[in-house]
Amino acid sequence: MIQFNNFSFKYREGIEPVLYNVSLTIPDATFVGITGAAGSGKSTLTYAINGIIPHCYPGDFYGEVFVEGLDTVESTLTDISMLVGSVCQDIDSQMVSTVVEDEILYGLENFGVARSEIPARVDEALDAMGIADLRERSIDSLSGGQKQKVALASVIALHPRVLVLDEPTAELDPASSLAVFELLARYAHEHGTTVVVVEQKIALLSDYADMLVIVDDGHIRFADSPENVLAHSDELLALGVNCPRSTTLMNELSKRGCYSGPAVRNVAQATEALMEVLA
Amino acid sequence: MIEFAQVTASYDDDLAVLHDVSFTINDGDFVAFVGTNGAGKSTTMRLINGLLKPSAGEVLIDKMPTTQLKTSELARKMGFLFQNPDRQICCNTVREELLFGFSVQGEVGQAELDRVDALIEQFGFNPDDEPYLLNRGTRQLLALASIIVMEPPVVILDEPTTGLDYRECEKVMGIVRQLNEGGTTVVMVCHDMEVVGDFAQRVIAMTAGQVVADGPTFEVLRNSEVLKAAHILPPQITEISLALNQNCAQLPLPIAQANTVDEMVCALVDVEKGGF
Amino acid sequence: MAKFLEYVPGNSILHRLNPSVKLVCAVLFAIACFVCSNLVFLLIMLALALTLALSSGFGRETAGLCKAVFAFSLILALVILLTTPNGVELIALPWGYIGTGSLLAACTVVVRLMAAAIPLFLVFYATKMTDITNSAVKQLHVPYKYAFTFTSTVHFIPVFMNDMSAIMEAQTARGVEFDTSNIIKKIRLMVPLCVPLLVSSVRKTNSAAIAAEVRGFNLRTRKSGYKDYPIGLLDGMALGVCVLIVVAAFVVSLMA
Repeated sequence: MIQFNNFSFKYREGIEPVLYNVSLTIPDATFVGITGAAGSGKSTLTYAINGIIPHCYPGDFYGEVFVEGLDTVESTLTDISMLVGSVCQDIDSQMVSTVVEDEILYGLENFGVARSEIPARVDEALDAMGIADLRERSIDSLSGGQKQKVALASVIALHPRVLVLDEPTAELDPASSLAVFELLARYAHEHGTTVVVVEQKIALLSDYADMLVIVDDGHIRFADSPENVLAHSDELLALGVNCPRSTTLMNELSKRGCYSGPAVRNVAQATEALMEVLA
Repeated sequence: MIEFAQVTASYDDDLAVLHDVSFTINDGDFVAFVGTNGAGKSTTMRLINGLLKPSAGEVLIDKMPTTQLKTSELARKMGFLFQNPDRQICCNTVREELLFGFSVQGEVGQAELDRVDALIEQFGFNPDDEPYLLNRGTRQLLALASIIVMEPPVVILDEPTTGLDYRECEKVMGIVRQLNEGGTTVVMVCHDMEVVGDFAQRVIAMTAGQVVADGPTFEVLRNSEVLKAAHILPPQITEISLALNQNCAQLPLPIAQANTVDEMVCALVDVEKGGF
Repeated sequence: MAKFLEYVPGNSILHRLNPSVKLVCAVLFAIACFVCSNLVFLLIMLALALTLALSSGFGRETAGLCKAVFAFSLILALVILLTTPNGVELIALPWGYIGTGSLLAACTVVVRLMAAAIPLFLVFYATKMTDITNSAVKQLHVPYKYAFTFTSTVHFIPVFMNDMSAIMEAQTARGVEFDTSNIIKKIRLMVPLCVPLLVSSVRKTNSAAIAAEVRGFNLRTRKSGYKDYPIGLLDGMALGVCVLIVVAAFVVSLMA
């Protein structure tokens, strides 16, 4: 479980706080999608989970953040890292090795995973991301989508309870973005891992997340199931968040009395609902 | 006018990344190149502004082959917005950045200063801001402004909406649309099919270094074989319309052809009224 | 062709040697080249280095490297040629002369630098960067922080080079004449680009540091490395040969 209690944060060089009085509870094994306009504070929210705040970016920290029972201020970044795996935005700088296999080994070696266990962990992580064939490849030679999968594999090899990803698909094309979300969701489901992902691609979040969090100007405006959040497409638009078109379509139809079901999350649900409307 | 005649191109003598590509972009067109990463879209953009020269075939800009032109000369005709604005921005203030293109060409007179001021007004910039302290979306807008201030007849955009939020994306694309309505030719590479559907008039789909389709936006985006070959998903409403086409017999034509939320809502409301 | 200092996969003897031994051998080889000034000895060393490169399949990489080292050493050679009047006078200069001795000294510098540099670079072509650092930490007891700093620097060189060329392209597309053939002009144009490069480097190194830290950088010790780097018979032989070469170098230079 991840818990924010009246959490506020102001970066040392900032004038105004980036997040105000945030209270949020994320239950175990939840796939959380965070989105919001640029500068709303959504990345800061993830830094508070993986301990980068307050351990790497100093500033004024108010309230409490607990990750799996650990107070992030009281604990060291290393202790938090054992529970929370992070993939940063800039994938090229995240890599510490030149070869895929070594990249996966890095965290395992540092956290002192038993030698006898390491080969199985590497195999499992590579398989989970479907990149067993890339094991010996030079990281330089990989595509953006492949690098993203390597970064994910290097983190899930550590068996984290929580995975935090900051815009993992920003540089990817739609097919690779979808593949990354698919792998991530399947892994999280199989292992009961909590996933927290910041993403601009709202269609992907709506489709895969169990919980949508909408951040606006340092405040959390919505934190609920996608159906409940997406029902407010007009309010979301005013916050600079454009719902998937399939959602907008069905919400417009329910306004006009042509549809009365819950907000839809993807094209398949919209199509199904429309077939009933047309039948 | 931009003409590709049987263009083949490669980097460092490696395998060809573009094979036998031909198309013509006329003045005033708004063309989107779509396809997966590695399909050859960015390579095509680099060929257009001469950063890369073809190894076979010809790229003609207003009938002149790019092999006879330097990119820095072509810059007068082609404004190129790169995916990462930080590679473009190099001055200390917003105003200097906007004047940069003119100073490179050695012509900073009153007319140029006026043009810069007009753009600062239009974009709502603070002229004395330091570019590196602005947020990502504003930097992208600044990079765009520093290109269009030169009033190039062609604007090339390499994934102009990557990393932008919805409002920033609408702002950038709104300005691009305005330019196009004013007669500027727009060529863009874009992964966001909703943006392509909303703004482009013509789509060229590429896969593995070849053009697989070239036509009016929704003609291409409704062609299931093209979608499959280029590994792309159409805009959501188009996808819904296509799925309904497959699953419903006697689907009313307005639904079968709808591509936007408004079109689809109107079509469905009409059907409901008609007691379908 | 491999990029600067990039690992080239293979299975030659050079690939299979222990990384630390490779490094030590390359350093010993270089020491031998600097101890002895006998041109014949140095030519033998160069021949040895080239044979090693060719037999390990690095012909192309070494050719490129030789060109670069040759160009650099040529400048040094020229300075020596003009400033050390030695031996029988060949050409008179206003401040002295160029003699047979100067010519010999110049040749020695070129051969020496090339012979010394090749094995050092071969180490990087034949060894994964992670193996070099892990083995250096384990067997040579280099502190991990230094080793990591070194790998990161080498790791970032191609990243920055990519950045620089992308920035130059972006500026060319804005009308800056980077496509000029005038090198002086090109260098003058490059100066203002240091700002964007610096900004992106600072961002990158910062996020790299954080990324390493959240994967347990601070917990890493000398024992952390998973892979073992045993020292075998082959390694012993290689070390032996290199020690003999150093001894030979001393003997030759003392005899002279």
